Amino acid sequence: MRSQAMFFQRRAGAALADPQLQKKFAGLKGKFVDSRARAVAAYESDFDELRDAGRDIRDRVVANLDVWLELFEEKATQRGASVLWAKDGREICAHVLAIAQRHGVNKAIKSKSMLSEEAQLNAALSAAGVQPVETDLGEYILQIAGNEPPSHIIAPAAHKDLAEVADLFAATHHTPRKTEIPALTREAREVLREHFLSAGMGISGGNFLIAETGSVALVTNEGNGRMVTTLPKVHVVVTGIEKIVPTLEDFATLMRLLPRSATGQEISNYVSLCTGTKGPADADGPEHTYFVLVDNGRAGLLGSDFQEMLRCIRCGACMNHCPVYQSVGGHAYGWVYPGPMGAVLTSLYTGLENALDLPQASTLCNQCGVVCPVRIPLAELQRKLREQQSERGLRPWSERAALAAWAWVARRPALYALAAKLGVRYLNWLAGGEDRIRVLGLAPGWSTGRDFPAPQGRTFRELYQSRQESKA
Amino acid sequence: MRVALFVTCLVDLMRPSVGFAALRLLEAAGCEVAVPETQTCCGQPAFSAGERGAAAALARKTIAEFEGFDYVVAPSGSCADHIRHRYPELLADDPAWCARAETLAARTWELTQFLADVLAVDTVAGKYDGSVTYHDSCSGLRGLGIKAQPRRLLGRVAGLTLKEMPEAEACCGFGGAFSVKFGDISAAIAAKKCANVQAVQAGAVVGGDLGCLMNIEGTLRRQGDEATRVLHVAEVLAGSNGKVA
Ligand code: SF4
Repeated sequence: MRSQAMFFQRRAGAALADPQLQKKFAGLKGKFVDSRARAVAAYESDFDELRDAGRDIRDRVVANLDVWLELFEEKATQRGASVLWAKDGREICAHVLAIAQRHGVNKAIKSKSMLSEEAQLNAALSAAGVQPVETDLGEYILQIAGNEPPSHIIAPAAHKDLAEVADLFAATHHTPRKTEIPALTREAREVLREHFLSAGMGISGGNFLIAETGSVALVTNEGNGRMVTTLPKVHVVVTGIEKIVPTLEDFATLMRLLPRSATGQEISNYVSLCTGTKGPADADGPEHTYFVLVDNGRAGLLGSDFQEMLRCIRCGACMNHCPVYQSVGGHAYGWVYPGPMGAVLTSLYTGLENALDLPQASTLCNQCGVVCPVRIPLAELQRKLREQQSERGLRPWSERAALAAWAWVARRPALYALAAKLGVRYLNWLAGGEDRIRVLGLAPGWSTGRDFPAPQGRTFRELYQSRQESKA
Repeated sequence: MRVALFVTCLVDLMRPSVGFAALRLLEAAGCEVAVPETQTCCGQPAFSAGERGAAAALARKTIAEFEGFDYVVAPSGSCADHIRHRYPELLADDPAWCARAETLAARTWELTQFLADVLAVDTVAGKYDGSVTYHDSCSGLRGLGIKAQPRRLLGRVAGLTLKEMPEAEACCGFGGAFSVKFGDISAAIAAKKCANVQAVQAGAVVGGDLGCLMNIEGTLRRQGDEATRVLHVAEVLAGSNGKVA
């Protein structure tokens, strides 16, 4: 997916002005935030201890990523899978297309993989004559809506409402329009069944890769994941290199965190562990398994100020709880990953200069850091990105000059006192005797939706001084 | 006990009544309060903007002014949090300054936390006829763990009823420069906060950070709500309820 992150401001404005979307966002927030809160409250022991354990597991992996990846490769190969490496989106596409060609595939069914979005894999497949069919209901909706990008990492079509989906289904499937969710789901199943049976290849992401067994773990609520990974003869797993966990036990710990943080479920409806190719005693499974392990910017975070970001297990809790995401939705962020984690990842993976707004578009309230199951300090990482922007001269000079002037004056108390006094006089003049300023000329952004309370009159400093003098 | 009052730049400029209320509360609790004259800004805005150099320079200046006191108290969770957690980190490369930063950090408190946890204040002068709701500002809440202290103290104000609003912990959308750079997003978040304030039909919304309060007040007034008062917790506890004493 080509990044549109430079248009954040404009896209956010459009989302704010769309009442339909706003209604949708409000509902979504209620759903995810409340169910997570319930799940955390109902958790039988201390959820914060569990978060510590999750963080430690992820830190252990990230600290020695090469070791765990080698072990994974060894174990996966022993079980008959092939392990391929891709450094960027282009290489992902090249690998997948080569695999498709080798096995004479002309249709690929897909379960959710954000990396295939990073790589624009569907477009590459289509261009090479391989039909990609999304089977996650949300992704399927987006695909038939003209390949719209996802707006949430676990609920990709979160921005669409029922009526839109009903219209879309009727138009695409040439069936009578239905508005009941079960009926729509059934219709999608019927359409997809045909694809499940006729596809030569299944492409999936992976929630975790387990080093000790060489397995990929898929966590879904729809069961499409297991069809994609077992029905076709060829299964291709496309995941980031950081998705690895050492052992099955570690995986079990993270599985206590992931669904609770994501949807508020104790466990998701389906958890599949796929290990290697179909053996002689197996009833089903692919004859060929490929792992495409992707860097696409990840290795660059190792040893950097942003290494902690590699702990992310893609639960979506940070965006669900983010006041900015709740207001503008995922599309405003302009790339694959939205919300706080997206603000960090997009800046790092697509280049700070291509995402100038994203590190700034945060109140740094740190609600994201509080809910992140692996304790990623997301607000702090966004702040560090601002530092890098400043160091690399990526902020407007006017902004930097204003800050520098402010800091310069703030180090000269007498001058500062004078500036404060004059500033307050000016604001009072703007208020014109009222208790508020309706248009704040110097900061028009403030007054589009708010008044600015007028200062009380004189600075504390002035009043305090005269009080001390009258005391003396 | 010698306590230095860190007035904060917003209080100095916009709402001196908060500074005087803090002063009165500390004096009533038996502190010998000084207001160092040369204090300006703690440097948090520069730090949040990514201007590390400027933030470090202001940190050094502030440390020099405040380090002689037993305690430093600010009527602001975000400034107190900044001094407490960021100064040592900002000056980590400079062992001598870092040590001074750590000493200051350990002595720096947000006002309600200081009153409730350090001084164990049990009675306050404030009187308030009616109900208020409390907004938890982000830095105080998540940075310093301030939640119970202001509520406990407000509970001691004669005549005051505390009504909890839905999502009291949700950010009001202020975020310093964010409120200006992304005015429309900030205003949308503030509007949700104000809807929650209005939902409990309290006479006033009270908080511990002036930035958030100005954001909430400006939004309420723009929406035509002239009735809901917006007060700093210090003003309510001291009984000045918004008047410059
Ligand atoms: S950053 Fe944390 S909260 Fe956000 S998606 Fe990743 S793991 Fe979940």
